[in-house]
Amino acid sequence: MSSTTQTVLVGQGALIESLLRGEFICRTSNEEAWRALKSPVTRDNVEQYLNQINRTIASAGEGEVFFCGYQQLGDDERKVISSQFKDICNALIPLVEWLVLVQEASGQDAPLSEGAAVRVSELQMRIEDTPAFREQLGKISHYRLFGSTSTQVDAQIKLVFKRLVELGYLLRPNAEKQIYIATGKLDYLYEVIRFIDETEGLSLEAQAETATQRDLI
Amino acid sequence: MSSNLHQAGVTLLKQLGRHAELVMDVYLSGSVSEGGDNAAAIEKLRKADILWRPEPEQELRLKRSVRALLEEALSDERNRQIDANVGSSLATIKTLADHYKEARHAVDYSASEAYLSDLSEHVYSFAEGLRYSIRVLWSRINNEFGYVGTINAKIRENELAQSQVTELLNGLEMFQFSELGEIAGDIRELRKLLVTTLQETLSDCTQELSVVQGRLLELLGRFRQIQGRTRLLKGWLLYTDQHPDYRVADHVGHKQLPRLFNRADALLAPAAVDVNNSGYETELLGLVAQIKAITRVGRDSEVREHDVAFSLVQAEDFDIPDNPLKLAVEEYFCAVIDSGLRQSALEYHQDKQLNWDEESWLYQVICGYEGLPEEHRRYFELEPIGEPDPVYTGNFIIRDVELWLA
Repeated sequence: MSSTTQTVLVGQGALIESLLRGEFICRTSNEEAWRALKSPVTRDNVEQYLNQINRTIASAGEGEVFFCGYQQLGDDERKVISSQFKDICNALIPLVEWLVLVQEASGQDAPLSEGAAVRVSELQMRIEDTPAFREQLGKISHYRLFGSTSTQVDAQIKLVFKRLVELGYLLRPNAEKQIYIATGKLDYLYEVIRFIDETEGLSLEAQAETATQRDLI
Repeated sequence: MSSNLHQAGVTLLKQLGRHAELVMDVYLSGSVSEGGDNAAAIEKLRKADILWRPEPEQELRLKRSVRALLEEALSDERNRQIDANVGSSLATIKTLADHYKEARHAVDYSASEAYLSDLSEHVYSFAEGLRYSIRVLWSRINNEFGYVGTINAKIRENELAQSQVTELLNGLEMFQFSELGEIAGDIRELRKLLVTTLQETLSDCTQELSVVQGRLLELLGRFRQIQGRTRLLKGWLLYTDQHPDYRVADHVGHKQLPRLFNRADALLAPAAVDVNNSGYETELLGLVAQIKAITRVGRDSEVREHDVAFSLVQAEDFDIPDNPLKLAVEEYFCAVIDSGLRQSALEYHQDKQLNWDEESWLYQVICGYEGLPEEHRRYFELEPIGEPDPVYTGNFIIRDVELWLA
């Protein structure tokens, strides 16, 4: 009995730590912690702990992605949030362009979302074979978010993927393989775009729809 | 009559079996042209009404019934044909029931028997058909319409499946059990077929169909979400292209902060040790002392970052001093040659008062003998002296060895 409580406590400690490190917890990135947060009991425990240091558990992506937010917002907290918001807004265009590039180059219906795998060697081959993709990758990799200065597809793509792992959008489960897996942070990104779309009334989906229809004609 | 039918059926099936390869080829490719190598076989199949020509100048195709048989037997997922025509089955069942009742009333047993068996056949095949349709729907749901490529096609397939489900459900609603019960009256056989069997089937199928409908809607929702995300991304790119000076509004400046953007700053930074601070030296040394290397996988060979230059030069001379034990053994060999007598190794050991352990001495003598080049060894004979192990057979315990000149 005591050993089970022990493991629960250890697991919760690790879970709280990763929340406090500012990580996004999803099924792909940390299944154990994700399961723990899905269970109301552990979630309450963690929430109580976090509340003591003015933190709370926040979720996105229909409750599939968890992260840590502030419980009470003072001026300092607002400053942090506003700088983070600026960061994510600056990252939006490069990230969206990259997502569309990956989707188009790999010829898939669905854009990357949590749990989807990207094989970089295949992607690289397709990008190298198509001048338009090559140009697009060059443009994306030169954004400040990725900061590449190289003109080689190989170096550009490696840097972009490395940065995306650093930013937490991708995971690389096996350091010897060029296979990356998308995390729940991407789903968070979609939600951010959707939020902006809805609050600012940009009607992005309708525009895309009419554009594709125009293309078909 | 019935033996004729039997004969004809057997012939047909044999024909199918004989041309199985051809039939499967046509099934998979959809049609076949007559010009090929097996024109005779194709002609035969055409005569047997297995292949037919839908329109003049068109290639030959498999008959629908043969296709259906194959699709059903092979559970081919491309099969999306569902027989939703419940109305005509219902009408047939009612008609047959009336025939049966009339024949029964006229006390024509043979006719009533025939009608009853016909009726059972219809009822059972109706139930089977219904279950089969549901199975087809499930198999399409389970692989998420994997047989079509794009999301748009999947959405269309999903809509087709939904309309089929609706049609099936509408058809099932046509069954009025009060009416069937009236037709069946108090005839036990009819009641069993028309009321009990059908009711069971229908309630099962209706339940399952509603589950199917739920799953289809769920899938559709997911497809639409995927489609929505793609559009969202494309729309974003379009919008930012068309409005280059667009900036996202400050959504976090409001009093009420959207929950989505309430992200706390990282409180715990990744830890790192300051190895340059000599104040921590004792702690660090303690930590280093505790490090255990547990390697479960083979370590990667280390690759040097830079090539280290090296040149091939004459190897320096070096010599390995001979082992004194080995030298002593050589002396023993020489002594045997000099004396030409048979000499026990242990006796020699005692004579010379050598200070090695006796066992190692014997070992070294044996090794020395075995280690001689073949032509030298032929000059010597070595005989181990000892006895077999008292307990374990096959083991020989050497107490001493004797060496002499051959």
